[in-house]
Amino acid sequence: MNEDNKITDKKVIETEITMGTVHSAAIEPYRVRLFVEDEIVRDAEITIGINHRGIERIMEGLPVEKANSLTEKICGICSNSHIWNSVLVAEKAIGIDVPERAQYIRVIMEELERLHSHMLYLAHGSEVLGHETFAMRVFYIRETVMELLRMIGGNRVQYGVSIIGGIRPRCELDEMRIQKIREGMDIIDEKILEFADRFVSDPMIMARVTGVGILSQKQAIELAATGPTLRSTGVELDLRREMEAYDPFEFDIITQDDGDVKSNLLCRVLEIPEATKIIRQALDHLPDGKITNRSWEMQDAPITKSYIEVPRGKLYHSYSLEDGRVRNSIVRTPSITNIGAMQYAAVGHHITDAQLAIVQCDPCFTCTDRAIQIIKI
Amino acid sequence: MTPITSLIAIIGTLIVALLVSVWLPGIERKFVQARIQQRVGPPISSAGIMAPLKFFFKETIKPHSPMPKLYNALPIVSFLSVLFILLIIMPQLYVFAAFTSIIAIVGLLKIEEVIYMFMGSLSKSVMSLKMPFPDIIKGAKHPGTHRSYLEELSSLRAYRLIAFGSFPLYIALFVPVAMSRSIYLSGIVAYQQVHGPILFTLAGVLGAIVFFIGYMILLNEYPFAILKTKADVIEGPLMEYAAKYRAYVYITRGFLMFVLASIFTTLFLGIPPNLFSWTILVTIAVALIFPILMAIMSAFSPIFTYKQFYPTVAGVSVIGILAILASFL
Repeated sequence: MNEDNKITDKKVIETEITMGTVHSAAIEPYRVRLFVEDEIVRDAEITIGINHRGIERIMEGLPVEKANSLTEKICGICSNSHIWNSVLVAEKAIGIDVPERAQYIRVIMEELERLHSHMLYLAHGSEVLGHETFAMRVFYIRETVMELLRMIGGNRVQYGVSIIGGIRPRCELDEMRIQKIREGMDIIDEKILEFADRFVSDPMIMARVTGVGILSQKQAIELAATGPTLRSTGVELDLRREMEAYDPFEFDIITQDDGDVKSNLLCRVLEIPEATKIIRQALDHLPDGKITNRSWEMQDAPITKSYIEVPRGKLYHSYSLEDGRVRNSIVRTPSITNIGAMQYAAVGHHITDAQLAIVQCDPCFTCTDRAIQIIKI
Repeated sequence: MTPITSLIAIIGTLIVALLVSVWLPGIERKFVQARIQQRVGPPISSAGIMAPLKFFFKETIKPHSPMPKLYNALPIVSFLSVLFILLIIMPQLYVFAAFTSIIAIVGLLKIEEVIYMFMGSLSKSVMSLKMPFPDIIKGAKHPGTHRSYLEELSSLRAYRLIAFGSFPLYIALFVPVAMSRSIYLSGIVAYQQVHGPILFTLAGVLGAIVFFIGYMILLNEYPFAILKTKADVIEGPLMEYAAKYRAYVYITRGFLMFVLASIFTTLFLGIPPNLFSWTILVTIAVALIFPILMAIMSAFSPIFTYKQFYPTVAGVSVIGILAILASFL
C-alpha cells in the first residue's frame, strides 16, 4: 500500500499542472489539476461538468417513450444500459410483465455492451500507457462486438433495443443472428485470452501498471466506488446477482486484490469471458414466445427507482409518471463516484502515471456530467 | 580531389541526404508501425514530404511565448546544427582537423538537445491556461498555487535528458575514439581502413547497441519519449509550432535520423557519407534500417516514466563503459 496515497487537502503545495479540458490522454473533456512536487503528484482535483447537457431537464414533461429514447443519448458507450434502466423504471412503476425471451435478449445486449465497453477501456488504457500497438489490436478485436451490436440494433452506438414491455421487433434474434453471435463469442474468447496473456507477460507493461494508482479497499468503500473499480480492491459486489434478469445465468464475480491499475485492467479483462459465458447461456436457453408485452395501460405513478449493473458499475434511474409524461427524472451514473475516488488514487505517483491512475476507473464524462446535489452529512 | 569536385561532392551528398531523410519518418511511423498495428496508415510520403509541404502553405500563427520570434527561430537553429554535423563528417572537410572531431559532433548534438530546453521554456500554450473562476472558487483545492505550463515541464525533462538521458549516445561515440586512439574523424576512418570496421569487434558490437538506444533517446521515440509524452505534456516543447515552423521541425527530425545513421557508419564502419563513392549506399541502407528497428521497438513498448527510464539509461551506459573498456583489450 502506498503511504502517500491519502487525502492531503491541508498540505502546502506551490506548483500545479493542469491538464484539460482538452487533452490527448482524455477521450472526453474534463480537467485535472495536479499539485506537484518535482513531478510527483501530491494532490489532485478533477473538475467535471464541461459536457453538461441537462438531459433530466429535457426529459421533464416528455412522453415516457420519448424520454426513454432520450436516455440512450446520455452515453455513446453504455447507451443500452441507460435505455434498459429507464424502461425498467416505467415497467416497475406501471407493473408490466416482460416476456422471458425479451429479458434474455436484453441481457445479451447488455453483455455485448459490457464486452465493447471493457475493450474500449483496454484500448484507451493502452494508449495512455503509450502502447499504441496493443490499443490498435484491442480495437481490432472490439470490431467483432461492434458488428454484432450493429446487426442486432441496426447501429453501432444507439441501438434502441429496449422498449416498455419488451424489445423492438427489429431486434428479434433469428437463427442466422444467433449463429453469428456464437461465432463472434468464439472469436472474442480466443483473441482476448491471447491478448491478456501477452499483456500480463510483457515486463515493460507490468512495470508501468503494477503498484500504480492504488485505491485501498477502505478508500473504495468510503468513496463509494462501484463496479470493476470497487471489485478490483477485493470487494465481491456485483448488482447482476440481485437483478431478476440475470437469475437464470451462472457467472463468477471477478475480483482482484491490489486496487491498482493492474488489478483494474485484469478485473475487466477477466470479466470479458464471463460476459461471453452469459451470452452463450442466453443463446442456448433462449425461450420461445413473444418479445413484447403490449397489454398494458399507462397510469400515473410515484417516483420509482431502478438500479442495474452496467460496465462501469451501478446505474440509477428514477422518475415519476403523470399523464404518461416523465416528472422528476434523476440519472446517476457510476463514473461520478469512481472519478471522485481517482483523485486519491493519483496521489503519490509521477505525473505520467497520474493520468493512468485516473483512467483506470474507466471514466465516462458525458454520462456523468449532470446536475448533482451533494448532501454533506 | 580539386576544390570544385569537393564542393560538388559536399553539395551532392547534402542533396542525397535531404532526399533520403524526407522518407525516413514515413518509413518509421507508417510503413513499419502501421503494419505492426494492423492498420492501413497514410501514405509513406505523408510524414516527411506531404505534411511539411502542406505546413509551408498554412497560415502562421503567433505562439503564446514571451519571445515568439526566438521561439520560431529555434527549429531553424536546430536544423543548422544537424546540417553542420553532416558537413563535418564528410571526408572532403577532414582538412579542417579541429572542426572534424568527435568533440565537434558532441558539441553540435548538445546544441540540438539544448534547443528543446529553450523551446519548452519559451512556450506557454493555451493547454495549461488558468481558469480563474473554478480554480479559486470556495472549495477549490490550493487556490494560490503557481501554475506551471506543460511546456515548462517538458523543458525540465529536456534538462534531465541533457544531464543524464543522452549518456548512452555520447559513451557510444567514444568507443571508436578509444579503439583508434584519435578524436579526429579522419583518424577513426583511417584506423578502420587498416584494421577493419570497429563494428565487427566486441567493443564495436556493444557500442553499436548503446548507440542505437542513444539514437532512440535523442530522437525522443517511444519508450524514451518523456519529452513529448501523450499522457501528460502532449507535444511538449513542439506544441506551439505551426505552419512553416512545424514543417522545419518535421524536416529536421528526418534529417537528424539520416545524420545519426551517417555518424554511425563513419564511426563504426569507417564509411563517411560521400557521393563519389559506392559506400554512400551503405550509409543510406543504415539510415533506412535504423528507423525500421526503432519503429519495431517503439511499437512494442509503453512510454517509460523516470522509474523505468533511469535504470534503463544506467544499464545501457554501463554496457557503453564496458565497450570502452573492451576497446583497450
